[in-house]
Amino acid sequence: MIDNQQNRTQGAAGTTDAQKAPQLQLKDIHKEFNGNTVLSDISLDVNAGEVVAFIGPSGAGKSTLLRCVNYLETPSSGDLLIDGKPTVKIASKPTRNELMNLRRQVGMVFQSFNLFPHISVLRNVALPQERVLGRSRKEAEERAMELLTRVGLGDKADARPSKCSGGQQQRIAIARALALDPEIMLFDEPTSALDPELGGEVLAVMQELAATGMTMLVVTHEMSFARRVSDRTVFMADGRIVEQGAPEQVFGAPREARTKKFLEAVLER
Amino acid sequence: MIEAIPFLLQGLGTTVIITFGSFLIGAFCAVPLALARLSDIVPLRLLATAYIEVVRGIPPIAWMLVLFYGLGRYVTLPPLLAACLALGAVSTAYLAENYRAGIQAVAGGQWEGAGALGLSKGDTFWRVIAPQGIGVALPPSASYAVGLLKDSAVASVIGVSDIAFQALTLNQQGNPGLPIFLAAGVVYLVVSVPMAVLARKADTFIRTRSAV
Amino acid sequence: MFEQWIQWLPGLLSGLQTSLAVTGLSLLLGLPLGLLFAFGMISRTRILRQTTILIVELGRGIPLLVVLYVVYFGLPDGGIVLESFAAAVVAIAFNTGAYTSEIFRAGLLSVPRGHIEAAQSLGLNWTDEARYIVLPQALRAIVPPLMSYSVIVFQATSLGYAIALPELLNSAYQIGSVTFEFLSVFILAGLIYAALSIVVSRFVDAIHSKTSH
Repeated sequence: MIDNQQNRTQGAAGTTDAQKAPQLQLKDIHKEFNGNTVLSDISLDVNAGEVVAFIGPSGAGKSTLLRCVNYLETPSSGDLLIDGKPTVKIASKPTRNELMNLRRQVGMVFQSFNLFPHISVLRNVALPQERVLGRSRKEAEERAMELLTRVGLGDKADARPSKCSGGQQQRIAIARALALDPEIMLFDEPTSALDPELGGEVLAVMQELAATGMTMLVVTHEMSFARRVSDRTVFMADGRIVEQGAPEQVFGAPREARTKKFLEAVLER
Repeated sequence: MIEAIPFLLQGLGTTVIITFGSFLIGAFCAVPLALARLSDIVPLRLLATAYIEVVRGIPPIAWMLVLFYGLGRYVTLPPLLAACLALGAVSTAYLAENYRAGIQAVAGGQWEGAGALGLSKGDTFWRVIAPQGIGVALPPSASYAVGLLKDSAVASVIGVSDIAFQALTLNQQGNPGLPIFLAAGVVYLVVSVPMAVLARKADTFIRTRSAV
Repeated sequence: MFEQWIQWLPGLLSGLQTSLAVTGLSLLLGLPLGLLFAFGMISRTRILRQTTILIVELGRGIPLLVVLYVVYFGLPDGGIVLESFAAAVVAIAFNTGAYTSEIFRAGLLSVPRGHIEAAQSLGLNWTDEARYIVLPQALRAIVPPLMSYSVIVFQATSLGYAIALPELLNSAYQIGSVTFEFLSVFILAGLIYAALSIVVSRFVDAIHSKTSH
């Protein structure tokens, strides 16, 4: 079933090279916490350049799944492959090197921004480049400036993060993650902590990023964003993928009763 | 070793007397001091501030020597009284700061509200401000009492026969020091741990009560 | 009175030197111990955590004077003989470790979990994470209370009097026992304690109000 939808979404994403292995593959990702199953055997393939939106009720496991992709949460079992290569040999016991390699390829944006409050906006974006990629300070700060300008915040470079609005902080966080040249970007409810107006600024940056062909996994409550921007929408509930497909299909003609119920509840508000 | 325990316990009563005596002195004297510290009358406020700062700046053991040896030329205080007065003077300064925090934690609107109702300043303080401020002042004061129990050990240096003094005496009589002083430590723990638990209980009790 | 004071001052200042030396060494040994205790208290290994908590509770529950007696009068029974200076440093350092562990623990825990996750998701290794993200933020919460605590350590050195350590209070006592001017010399010693304590406390307050604005 998943494979069928896979083909369909590839069409939706307009991916031309169908021969290549999917960029990101999740195989039977299972996660238990204190004896409770939080994710049960999730499998998912994501192609390069694809934008996948995860929707569903809170407690569905969307954020946990996303956090498993860069191992902020350690899955109990399952496999995580990037470009067809396994990232971690034993799922539940990642080595330090495996984690470093994985996180170099995957960038993450958090609901609560998590900018470092004790250093300037520019240093927030430059420091990880220097430490992780070994770029020189000059090089890193040039790249940081370029990205800050791209998200419309070049003038905030010398400010402390606390002097920026929530929407600005989130755009800085996006720049910080992009500065490490990730292949895949994860967004964990990036606008949930923001007023609708400020959230709009962030969604605009994300939409622009999607247009450049970045592979994006987005957990979101913004149904209109999921519908407009995503190539594929995944509906999750109770730690499982209930249904997935092109957004027009999931939103327009949901197949599962659980999806219908959720969408009715959300869209009627 | 076992026979040392009753001898140490003889000092327990004295330790408790110093702790409670000096805490009572502090608890009473800190009220006028805290009020003076918050007074509109500048000299009074400065005097109170100076007392608090200077007294807290000098270690308790020094106060004990001042009262016992320093005043020795003019009045001879019994060691136990000297110890209570010295620690009482110190706890007055610390508790006054706790009281001040309690008073200041009560919203300014309360003074205005009570004034608008025609309550006198005295009535406002005792019936409106103090009952609210006590929730803020009590928890740190209770932990201060636990600290006082430990500070009371310095009374042994002026010959008050408290737990520490009893232990010293045993040691000087030729008994091995290590087990004796460890046992003395345990006796302090036996008192200080329940006190600390009680202080925490009182804290949560007051918090939940004032939250209703 | 002031003439006497000027006459006594050199003696008291040499005592003060000892007090400050004990303060410095106790902090030098006690603060790393406190940090170590803090790591122990937040350790995931249960036995390590519980042992540390027990040691810390002992250090906080037993009067420092009694700890001093244990070290100075008690340890020789175990074959460890320390001079009064070393005994004071050991006892006060242990006490400092026990009390400051809570300051360190609170400081480490004050760094929001999200910042640590952000550092990890950016691929920083754990030393970079500690050096650039956790410690700089934790230090802000740790340094002011530690500086206040150093005043307490300085005052605690006066307990050295009880084991004949020639520190400030003991120097005052020695002068008093020769001149019989106990009150006068204790007042002078007291003023030295108070002056240093108040100056450092004011300094800490000034830093605190500056950083919190």
